[in-house]
Amino acid sequence: MKPERRGRLKAILLGAFASSLCFHCGGQPSSSPGSRPEAGKPRWKVGMSQCNLGEPWRVQMNQDIRKAAEQHAEIEVLFKDAQNDSLRQRAQVEEFVNQGVNLLIVSPKEAVPLTAPIAEAYRKGVPVIVLDRRITGEEYTCFIGADNREIGRAAGQWIREHLKGKGRIVELKGLMTSTPGQDRHTGFRDAIAGSGIEVIFEADMKWLEPEARKEMESALARYKDINLVYAHNDPAAHGAYLAAKAAGREKEIQFVGIDALPQEGQAYVSQGILAASFEYPTGGAEAIATALDILNGKEVPKEIKLSSRVFEAKALARIGASGRHLSSAGCPTIGRVFEMADAQLRLSAIAVQPFWE
Amino acid sequence: MTEDRAPLQGMSLEFLGKPFGRALIALLFIVCLGLIFNADGTFFRWETHRDMLRQISTYGILASGLTVVIVSGGIDLSVGSMLGLAAVTFSMLSIHQGWAAGVAVGGSLALGLFCGALMGGCVGRFGIQPFIATLAGMVLLRGVAKWVSGGQKVSTTVLGRGGAFEQITLPPIFDLLGARLLHQNLATVTLIFLFCLLGCWVLLACTKWGRWLFAIGGNEVCAHLSGIPVTRVKLLAYGLSGLLAAVAGICQAVQELQGDPEAGMGYELTAIAIVVLGGTSLSGGGGGIGLTLLGTITIGYLEKILSINAVGEASRLMMTGLIVLTAVLMQKRRS
Repeated sequence: MKPERRGRLKAILLGAFASSLCFHCGGQPSSSPGSRPEAGKPRWKVGMSQCNLGEPWRVQMNQDIRKAAEQHAEIEVLFKDAQNDSLRQRAQVEEFVNQGVNLLIVSPKEAVPLTAPIAEAYRKGVPVIVLDRRITGEEYTCFIGADNREIGRAAGQWIREHLKGKGRIVELKGLMTSTPGQDRHTGFRDAIAGSGIEVIFEADMKWLEPEARKEMESALARYKDINLVYAHNDPAAHGAYLAAKAAGREKEIQFVGIDALPQEGQAYVSQGILAASFEYPTGGAEAIATALDILNGKEVPKEIKLSSRVFEAKALARIGASGRHLSSAGCPTIGRVFEMADAQLRLSAIAVQPFWE
Repeated sequence: MTEDRAPLQGMSLEFLGKPFGRALIALLFIVCLGLIFNADGTFFRWETHRDMLRQISTYGILASGLTVVIVSGGIDLSVGSMLGLAAVTFSMLSIHQGWAAGVAVGGSLALGLFCGALMGGCVGRFGIQPFIATLAGMVLLRGVAKWVSGGQKVSTTVLGRGGAFEQITLPPIFDLLGARLLHQNLATVTLIFLFCLLGCWVLLACTKWGRWLFAIGGNEVCAHLSGIPVTRVKLLAYGLSGLLAAVAGICQAVQELQGDPEAGMGYELTAIAIVVLGGTSLSGGGGGIGLTLLGTITIGYLEKILSINAVGEASRLMMTGLIVLTAVLMQKRRS
């Protein structure tokens, strides 16, 4: 209450704020010097602007980039997080250019607000790799991304074959104001059109697992026979599974998700929770490979389309058998069985790799 | 409040003039909507109501703590972030570190109490505006949650030594708290919610601390001059709010089977809406826990009715806004 106390508190708060800023700045150059061979200073600086780090998928993208960059002593990657703010991302692009980076990787939040700053950087002679979401126009060096509509279509085809063209489905949609949500929806509907597959319940779960669980509970309360749940991301499929499990109906329903991150979708498939998960690749490793090509003066294509993979539980039947076999033999640990399962899953995933091309 | 108003006819109507009765009208209005738009009879099934109670429990726990703060004339915006931080901490301690359930729960609750009390200290001892102190807390705690978890969900899938992901077992506490009791008729988290509600009711209605909270909310200077330890009472209020946010975080984690650093994003606004819809005034000094219970159930039914009817996102937002407004108007009609 008293003025001097207020002053003291202000000082403490300011100090804390300043130290947090220092801490924050200190954490910026993320490729640690210790992990690189002693080649002196890296030759090239690469700026990476990520639109947000709220989603595990984008955290994974940054990790993939970091991991790939650590293999090459000649480049250093500086990471920035735009926290889902287009204008902040625009500022970051400009900062990187002023800082004199040799190449820019941008995973844009939105096309329109970022087209101009990216074009400006490109005109100034800084090569720009656009990752995942497109910008308008042609003024960038290379676009790397997967096609959500194709993935939605592939999921639809898979479901159509899996259910033999007939069934009652719940669709848990991602945010329908976002392009991935729209594309995963349209692709899927294209693929099931004309079949006996009927979408009996659809809801927008805003990419969030708790929302998906809520919506699924409503669907379960309303409909007595549901054959399959198609969710636009794996966490939502997992949330739907938890809802079905709580209602004691998880055995009669199959769950299909998208993204197939190792710690989410792939893990859910190997646990037998999801029937299938369709990979939406981050393109992090490809971005670094392309960056090196550009920096070394090689010609790169204007557009690189990432192929997707399906992780499905079909292989799991075999793994389950081998798991049982192991346990009858004596002393398996859960970890070991899972390692085996994981290895086999990977094999099966690679075997079915080009599923639409 | 009711003295200068025209006398209402009969006992039953007089009851409707009181805040509790008015909150009841709002609830009945929503339930009537459910009876009309029952989605092929779904609204008449017990499962719908049971699931609604489970879904609303985490919000309700947050709202119970918030009621105590709001009664004292403050606000706590940090509860959603605290929920996320507690969910992450609890999951890390119990799943990754393998701590005993009691210790993991105790540790997370202690963290909640500490963070809440810290903000209470800023408000009470240093006189920072509650809105600002807890806004800073909201940002800070969300940052801590993301930092502790490395931005990823804390689940049973962990990165092994070989670089491949491995699966570890889920501690039994998750099944215990995530389950249902009484022949599958009541979710454990709902029971925890009711327990928190009861605790807050006892505090507000039956103790001197409760009376002090109302006194501070009514007129802080007066309360101070009449010898009420304002700083300590505020410390208690915000500490309790932090503690209950941590309880809600644990409830969220056991339902999701993981600790999500993004959990509870925006929950503080829903919790505030619940408290206000119940009839507790944001200016402090009035209201109560019973009102918050009604507010919780009202919001729960509203979400459930929109959900079972599979209403689209845009119409859902518009209808939520309009219905909440109508409910509040019906509640304020006579005042």
